[in-house]
Amino acid sequence: MLIQILLISAVLVLMVFFLRNHGTTRTAAGVKIGFVLFILFGVLAVLQPDALTSIADAVGVGRGTDLLLYGLVVAFAFAMVNTYLRFKELELRHARLARAIAVQSAEPPALDDKVQEPGAGQDENQDKDEGTNVPTAS
Amino acid sequence: MSDYDDVWLIVPVYNEAQVIREVVQNARLTFPNIVCVDDGSRDASVSEIRQSGAHLVRHPVNLGQGASLQTGIEYARTQPGAKYFVTFDADGQHRVEDVVRMIDRLRKEPVDILVGTRFHGDTSHIPWIKRLVLKTVVALSPRTRRLKLTDAHNGLRAFNKTVADGLDITINGMGHASEIIAIIDRKSWRVAEEKVTIIYTEYSMAKGQSLINGVNILFDSALRGSRR
Repeated sequence: MLIQILLISAVLVLMVFFLRNHGTTRTAAGVKIGFVLFILFGVLAVLQPDALTSIADAVGVGRGTDLLLYGLVVAFAFAMVNTYLRFKELELRHARLARAIAVQSAEPPALDDKVQEPGAGQDENQDKDEGTNVPTAS
Repeated sequence: MSDYDDVWLIVPVYNEAQVIREVVQNARLTFPNIVCVDDGSRDASVSEIRQSGAHLVRHPVNLGQGASLQTGIEYARTQPGAKYFVTFDADGQHRVEDVVRMIDRLRKEPVDILVGTRFHGDTSHIPWIKRLVLKTVVALSPRTRRLKLTDAHNGLRAFNKTVADGLDITINGMGHASEIIAIIDRKSWRVAEEKVTIIYTEYSMAKGQSLINGVNILFDSALRGSRR
C-alpha cells in the first residue's frame, strides 16, 4: 500500500533530519511552517471531507478520517521528539549555569586541616560522636 | 609532602552522609587533593564533607551524576599543579590501592585514560544479575568493543590533563558513562583498562543504580548527537 511507504519514509526522513539539524534557525522555521500546514490540513479536512476522502483513496487508505488519524499520529510523535530535544537543551544550559555558580562558590578545606591529618585517631572518635547524631538529624 | 600532590580525586556526592566522611578520610591518607561535588543532597552530606578535609563544590540544585562529574573535573583542572584526575564513587565501593596502581601506570605508560574493569580474572564477587546486565551493555555497544573495553560502566577512571581539558559531559544523568566512551572514541584518546575490585557492601548495593535505569541510559544514548 502506498500509504505505508509514505508514512514510514516520512517518519524516517523527518527523524534523521530532526536529530541532525535540531537547534538551527532553519529547522525552527521548518517546524513552524510544518505546523501551519498541518493546521491548514486540519481545516481542509473539516470543510471538505470529500476532498480528504479522495486523497485517502489515492494513497490507499479507506476513509478520510483514517488518513487524518495517521497524520495526527505522525505529527504528535514529532511534537514529542521536538519537546524532548528542547528539554534536553534547556537541561544542559541549566546545568552549565548551576555549575558556574557551584565552582564560583567552592569551599576549599579548612586551613587547620593539615595539622589534624596525623591524628587520624581523633577523627575516628569524632566519627563515632557524629554517628550517633546523624539519625536524629535526618 | 605526598607523591600524589598532582592528583585530584573527583567524588560526586548525593545523599551519602553515612559514609562520605570515612571514604574521603581514608582516601586522603594517600591523595591529599579531593573535591566532593555535592549534587543538592538533602541529608547531612555537606557538613560531613566540610569535616572530611575535601574541597566542597555544591550544586544549587540536583542535576545528576554526569553533571557532578563534569563540575568536579572543571574545578580540579583549574587547580594549580593538577596533572592527573580520578573519578571516584562516594559510596566506598572503590579501593584506594586500585587508584594508586592506575596513577602509577598513567605516569609510566603512554595512555591518556585508564578505565576500571571488574571483568578481568575472578568475577564471582559480582552479583550475577549485575554481571549479566553489564555484559549485555558491552555486547550491545560496537564502540565499546572496538575500544576493547569490557566494563564501560565502571565509575573508577583515571586520566591526564589532556582528557580533563577535553571532557565535556552533556548527559547530566547516568548515561554519562557511555558518553565518556563516545568522547574517548571521537577524540582518539589512548585508552586502556585496569583491573579493579569493586567492594559490594550492603550500602553500596542499595545505593547503586537500579537496573531499570538502564532503560533511561539507552534512551538518552539513542537520542544523543543532536547537539553536534
